[in-house]
Amino acid sequence: MSLKDLISPFYVWKRAFSKPYTTRKPLKERPGANRYRGFHKNDLEKCIGCGSCEMICQNAAIDMVPVEGIETQYSDSGLRPKIDYGRCCWCALCVDICTTGSLTMSNEYIWINSDADVFRFVPGNENKTWDTVEPGYQRSEGYELLDKARVEMKMLSPEESIQSFLEMVKGYAREEAEKEAMRCVECGLCIATCPAHMNIPGYIKAVREGDLAKGIELLYETNPLPATCGRICTHRCEDVCSLGVLGEPIAIRWLKRFLIDQIDQSELKQKIISDYPENGKKVAIIGSGPGGLSAAYYLRKLGYRIKIFESEEKAGGMIRYGVPEYRMPYDQLDKDIETILNLGIEIEYNRKVGADLDFRKVYDDFDAVFFSTGLTVPYKLEIEGEDLNGVLDGLDILEKFTRGINLELGKKVAVIGGGNVAMDAARTARRLGADVTLLYRRREEDMPADAEEIQESHNEGVKFITQAIPVKLEKAGDQLKLIWNKAEMVDQGAGKRPRPVPLEDEIHELKMDNLISAIGQGPDYSFLGEDISNKLKFHRYKVITNEYGQTSLLKIFAGGDIVNSTADAISAIADGHKAAKGIDYFLNRN
Amino acid sequence: MNEIMEQLKQIFKLNEFNQEREDLYFITAEKEQLVSLLTHLRDIHQFTSLIFLQAVDYIEDNLFQLTYMTHNYDKHISLGIRVKIDRQAAEMSSIHHLWEHAETFQRELKELFGIDFPGSPGIDSGFVLEGWEDIPPMRKDFDTVKYAEKTFFPRPGRKTHDPAEYMKNKLYPENN
Repeated sequence: MSLKDLISPFYVWKRAFSKPYTTRKPLKERPGANRYRGFHKNDLEKCIGCGSCEMICQNAAIDMVPVEGIETQYSDSGLRPKIDYGRCCWCALCVDICTTGSLTMSNEYIWINSDADVFRFVPGNENKTWDTVEPGYQRSEGYELLDKARVEMKMLSPEESIQSFLEMVKGYAREEAEKEAMRCVECGLCIATCPAHMNIPGYIKAVREGDLAKGIELLYETNPLPATCGRICTHRCEDVCSLGVLGEPIAIRWLKRFLIDQIDQSELKQKIISDYPENGKKVAIIGSGPGGLSAAYYLRKLGYRIKIFESEEKAGGMIRYGVPEYRMPYDQLDKDIETILNLGIEIEYNRKVGADLDFRKVYDDFDAVFFSTGLTVPYKLEIEGEDLNGVLDGLDILEKFTRGINLELGKKVAVIGGGNVAMDAARTARRLGADVTLLYRRREEDMPADAEEIQESHNEGVKFITQAIPVKLEKAGDQLKLIWNKAEMVDQGAGKRPRPVPLEDEIHELKMDNLISAIGQGPDYSFLGEDISNKLKFHRYKVITNEYGQTSLLKIFAGGDIVNSTADAISAIADGHKAAKGIDYFLNRN
Repeated sequence: MNEIMEQLKQIFKLNEFNQEREDLYFITAEKEQLVSLLTHLRDIHQFTSLIFLQAVDYIEDNLFQLTYMTHNYDKHISLGIRVKIDRQAAEMSSIHHLWEHAETFQRELKELFGIDFPGSPGIDSGFVLEGWEDIPPMRKDFDTVKYAEKTFFPRPGRKTHDPAEYMKNKLYPENN
């Protein structure tokens, strides 16, 4: 036995008083790894209640529930996920799919309680200790279950587009449409925002599954002008799309257009037509814009005999006469209109109620009247010289151009206004070869025109002068001279639009051959006659209707731009549908 | 590593060589050559350790992809060998004779994916799923939600709301 053998047993004592390497028991802390999948955290402010977490959960562990203090809004269902930890398997798919990135996980995983019910709660709403814990599972950079980029839409280049009035947007091919439809999470947040409350997730699903018939059926349930809305809808649905929070919203409008573009006129007629029995009651409709056409379609399906009075030679109203062909090809509008009229709806063209025929007579001859006559009277600039030769009205030139009348615009054109009519007038003038300058009294971001129209106007070479207040017009040889004043935007306090105030010494001149005024338009109620219009109620210039679209005269219903505040096609379509249901209710109740 | 690859290519049919990290490489091998390739790597190139063996179900392509992760402790590099096998006749040669613990991995894959490794000891004794009667749960065609609904009862008092329906009631109830 060596000396070493004798001493070695004592070696083990040498660490008796140093810090042990092992973990001391009982364990006080068991920190999870940095990316451990522990209890959920949810930023309730960021969450929009789309329910994608509930839908993806493979254990049915999530319920969407109302939470006190969170209001339902158009962009937020007001619901929040409530998780049942008796079922959760901590797979984190809910975190991966979250459309806003509000849902994450802490690395806390220990919580002991004898009451099983406390393990069902709304993360973020219960002040849990882990709500402020930083580490835990989060979606890693570059790992995406959601496809954030929209399938690009093919369009004519600005150089090509100003050469002609061809439709600029080419539309999706099947493969592109299916790919775009694949991005939808089917949350349905968009439905409330759509004035017509179209079943958007439903028809997107139909695109995805290639079920054309189902898709068309869903479109017509709430909107009988899909080819129109698939092109020129203001698509507010896309503003609230949950995919738009972190990426680009689904191209809802283009998908609608894809569906309706897949079916030709004759096929569509066969699909939509069926024999609707007549119930013996008659409804007159004044104006065949989107509001009137929509009312006619739904009323006809309910069995009413319909007669539309249209003052123009063709139907479509502002869609035909106010929207240029490069945005809304006439054959596509005709497709919508013919499908509707094909249900057996009578329409009299070139028949202006109030001029060719008394409103009172219409009122007496029919069981109910719906009017949707739109905003047709342009506002005046109210400046000196606006009656000079060469001053034109935006809506008027769009209408004339639709009729094929030569506008004979000069080389240099100025447009005043910031709405869609102003943009369309400017772009039409560009297509006719003019050098176009657009003047607007506020900033570009204040313009009421669609963002796309503004962008496309820029692309097509329309020059913009903003914060420009017209002062007066003078004759300058063969030309016109506009005197305008540069303005500064003055804050009007919270919630109010800043006001443009003219700047001293900032008077400018602009010479042009034609000046096109497009600063908005108002209604013309003269056709109603004094007797009737005295009995209707108005707020400013809008007709007041109840939730059935009914005016203060029980037999008269109204809708469209003369009623709603949004003044777009889809709102008019919704109004028409609402009034159709209202008329049916009113006539059947009595 | 490139040197090793060159030598390996002389003997085996290899595809898709790629480097994920400084110390992590992947190659794709032929099913028939897998066992001899692993033997070669272990005995000649010092990939002496089998870290894990796992599978991915590529149901769209009708195949399973197996990944054998090996490690070389001298050079501190990991090499993953991927093999694609038919999903219908999911069967693979066993490698328990190379690494004893492979039998555990293989037992796991048999139970969770239904991939058979004939000859692997205890291949048919259960791994974690006691009394499992459904199709193997890691297969993509296994419907987890349906299984959960069928097997587990919901806690009483649970109630959910459809966002679109809920918004309709809150924001435009007149359409009801």
